Amino acid sequence: MTGLDLLTPSGLMVAMLPELVVTLAAVIVLLINAWRHQTAADSRFAGMVSLAGLVAALAVLGALWRGGATALGAPNMMALDGYRFGAQLLILVASIGAVLLSLDYLERESLIAPEYYSLLLMATAGMMFLAGAEDLIILFLGLEVMSVPIYVLAAFNRKSAASAEAGLKYFLVGALASAFLLYGIALTYGATGATDLTAIGQRISAQGIETMSGLGLALMLIGLGFKVASVPFHMWAPDVYDGAPTPVTAYMATGVKAAGFLALVRVLMVGFGSAVDTWQPIVGVLAAASMILGNLVALAQRSLKRMLAYSSIAHAGYLLAAVWSGSQAGASATMLYLAAYVLTTLATFGILAVLGRGGERDVTLDTIAGLAQRRPAIAAALTICMFSLLGFPGTFGFIGKWAILSSITAEHHQFLAVVLVLTSLVSAGYYLPVIRALYMRPPLNAEIHDGVVLPGAARLTVAVGVILLLVLGILPRLAIDSADRGARSFAGTALDRAAQAHR
Amino acid sequence: MFNFLTSIGYNSWILHVLLVFPLLGAVAVSLSPAALAKRLAFAVTLVEFILSLGLWWSVNTANGTMELMQTVPWIPQWGISYAVGIDGISLTMVLLTTMLMPLCVIGSYSYITEREPGYYALILVLTTGMIGVFIAMDMFLFYVFWEVMLIPMYFLIGIWGGKNRLYAALKFFIYTMAGSLLMLVAILVMVRVAAVMGDGKVSFSYFHLLQYAQSPIMGRIAPWLFLAFFLAFAIKVPLFPFHTWLPDAHVEAPTAGSVILASVLLKMGTYGFIRFAIPFFPGVAFSTFVTNTVVTLAVIGIVYGALVAMVQPDIKKLVAYSSVSHLGFAVLGIWAASIQGVQGALMVMIGHGFSTGALFFLIGMLYERRHTREINAYGGLARVIPIFSLILTVVALASIGLPGLNGFVGEFLVLVGSFRIHPYATGLATTGVIFAAAYMLWALQRIIFNKLDKPANELIPDLNRRELAVLIPLLIGIVWMGLYPKPVLDKLEPAARRYILMTKGLVVPGEDVIRTKGASQ
Repeated sequence: MTGLDLLTPSGLMVAMLPELVVTLAAVIVLLINAWRHQTAADSRFAGMVSLAGLVAALAVLGALWRGGATALGAPNMMALDGYRFGAQLLILVASIGAVLLSLDYLERESLIAPEYYSLLLMATAGMMFLAGAEDLIILFLGLEVMSVPIYVLAAFNRKSAASAEAGLKYFLVGALASAFLLYGIALTYGATGATDLTAIGQRISAQGIETMSGLGLALMLIGLGFKVASVPFHMWAPDVYDGAPTPVTAYMATGVKAAGFLALVRVLMVGFGSAVDTWQPIVGVLAAASMILGNLVALAQRSLKRMLAYSSIAHAGYLLAAVWSGSQAGASATMLYLAAYVLTTLATFGILAVLGRGGERDVTLDTIAGLAQRRPAIAAALTICMFSLLGFPGTFGFIGKWAILSSITAEHHQFLAVVLVLTSLVSAGYYLPVIRALYMRPPLNAEIHDGVVLPGAARLTVAVGVILLLVLGILPRLAIDSADRGARSFAGTALDRAAQAHR
Repeated sequence: MFNFLTSIGYNSWILHVLLVFPLLGAVAVSLSPAALAKRLAFAVTLVEFILSLGLWWSVNTANGTMELMQTVPWIPQWGISYAVGIDGISLTMVLLTTMLMPLCVIGSYSYITEREPGYYALILVLTTGMIGVFIAMDMFLFYVFWEVMLIPMYFLIGIWGGKNRLYAALKFFIYTMAGSLLMLVAILVMVRVAAVMGDGKVSFSYFHLLQYAQSPIMGRIAPWLFLAFFLAFAIKVPLFPFHTWLPDAHVEAPTAGSVILASVLLKMGTYGFIRFAIPFFPGVAFSTFVTNTVVTLAVIGIVYGALVAMVQPDIKKLVAYSSVSHLGFAVLGIWAASIQGVQGALMVMIGHGFSTGALFFLIGMLYERRHTREINAYGGLARVIPIFSLILTVVALASIGLPGLNGFVGEFLVLVGSFRIHPYATGLATTGVIFAAAYMLWALQRIIFNKLDKPANELIPDLNRRELAVLIPLLIGIVWMGLYPKPVLDKLEPAARRYILMTKGLVVPGEDVIRTKGASQ
């Protein structure tokens, strides 16, 4: 099963099997919802079916990956390479995590509407298209299929004004971002006569970057910049992260970010690889601004959810720094860091969801004070997550950060590396107080932590996430290999040739 | 002894065991009930010490090279391996660490009364981290140990510390992290440059980097790289003006935390200079500007630390500032780069470990009895608790540098070794010894002599057997190294000589060839 001819229907079917499985699952869940959408049991059933669909997609993906599926001839709609498989693995992991966190959360918050899961699956399918797109039209479709369900999911808690606000805000900003992206695609098409990334790459490297293609690139950067919440396109993030139901926030912070970044890497590397000198300064400025602003503003937050929202802006900055390096090492580092970030964020929000008990907007350092005495395991898990977000040795987060730093320093230009480590230091100023509150402060009152229990599915997510963080933090060889293999898909792209010419 | 150790293959497993054993112990301790946890922790640290003792005989320190080197690929994609090795300098530091840990554990028996399993587990994790720093021969591994050590120390200060513990813990963490993050970038840049020089071979091995550290490309950025390393280590030492975290951390930490901080953690800074910063960039480190700056800072530290110590109302703070002063001597000796200076610096590091460790233990014992560290709250203790007073006097004299006790050996050697090279600075530094006598003796007078005029002091009990068990090993060390330091000096000498050759760029480690001056590059 190595070579697949994407021009034949059967070849295309096999190549698209993971997406098809997820889409099919979304349709099945929707059909089930038509008859069974009353009780908590119905909701749970829909969740279980979604879970089965996602796991099946994961299995198919694994088979394709292990089988080393590649396209015969040039792929022109969807990529069929290691980078796509890696990206989709991350997206599926994020989705499975989000479903697991939702199972009990929805019951607890009495948000009994099983459509939730079909929306989540549709968004997942959209992300998978987005991250694997070889063609700008597919990229745009993927982005829209991903975004529309998430607008709904963000506003899913009908009883909460904040949730409605989050949905509306995200929708308005998202629509604007889509417009930017679409305009960028149109201009790029106008300049190069192609929507296929490989073809665009060939034209750009032949004719160089001009006003129109440059403008197209800039508008696309803005569009994707909104989705990944990089400064200065980040304004929506804190309110939306804060207002949305916590599992949805976890899903946005992991899935959307991963899909957005991996699409960005592909567009820049394959489509605009030869124009690396044009986009590097822009991406560099965005990266530095995101790191500085995200980390500094996070310092001032009281609510943990808002703090994590700003920290996710900072993490977007770190990731942009990896993208900036514009090399295979940078693509690999992006993937690796996203893997660490997805695992950490899922576990963190999983814990945050149970700490809130109905009002997680108000989870502050005071709420979690003294948790270590009553719930040592939860406190330890949250501590490990904080150290991983901080990028501390012994956790997977450190491996990710190391990969990013290593890819930056390989370009022999240390400015972003220095900004990265200095802003990481700043981030200690808000991650450590979480640990401090957990272990070093007395609880506000004796009963405050009585109800803090991780339900089964969330416990599974958090436990698996935290164990993976530690194991991959110490033995990261497999993860690094996968990311490197994925990034090697970009060998022979315009960027690669430009880099070789440069040397 | 040597034959016995060879027969059990000691050299092939000891370094790994020293790293892994405390970690396993930590897991066991954290899962056991409080009463068992402390005993188990003591057993683990004691076994660790006994295991490590064999190093004294088995490590061949005669060449000053890294012995017992073992390299296992760890993350081959990035050129990272698990590489450990030991020479005379590491050896003494490792033994100092393993010797102190059992004492720290039994010294905490009555001081720590809550959440004991966690406390002892963290102490054990810390043991692994500290030993790891001293034996890591791969820069990635070194960095991991260097940073990981912060976590247990952060918790020790933050959970079991004094009133102002939260502030002190955060300050300690941020200061240390600030330095080490820049060092991280410097390490990565070095590796990249070395890869360009060395046919694209990416390796974080210490020897690999050392080999390319003096290449011309590295030469251009060397000042920046040196600055990054320097900051990381100067904060840890701490060199004036990077010392402000130290009084807070020392004062707020629980007794064992202060002991570990003073006796081992501070030495990592000076160790870092000797092992990494200077051998990598001797040209920068011994340029006129850097030498003058560092020597000036060291002397300021010596005098300033002593003067500030003199006016402290809090005994623990007094000892904390005295550390700033003593470590200034170590830095002075390191930058003298003469054999006496370097040996002296190493002796200061070891001697300070013993005497300051003992001082912190004594203060802790006093605090457990009276719950105050104010010097003015005491007076006339010699009549009430004579054994305590005797030991305190001996330790204080050792700290001052009385001939015949350990403090003298190091500081004397440093002064002798650096006088030829920096006469004025050394002259000024000598006043530090005089000030040390002033603040120590004055404090001694106010605590154990003077009149017994506070009724609260009349009924405090003298040291019990457990406390004596903590102090006597330290006392033996203090007297032994004061009267007969030769065995220790012998262990240190070849490594010190090798370090001096490195400062002149005359030795390429790993190749084990000492180049003659003309042949170098």
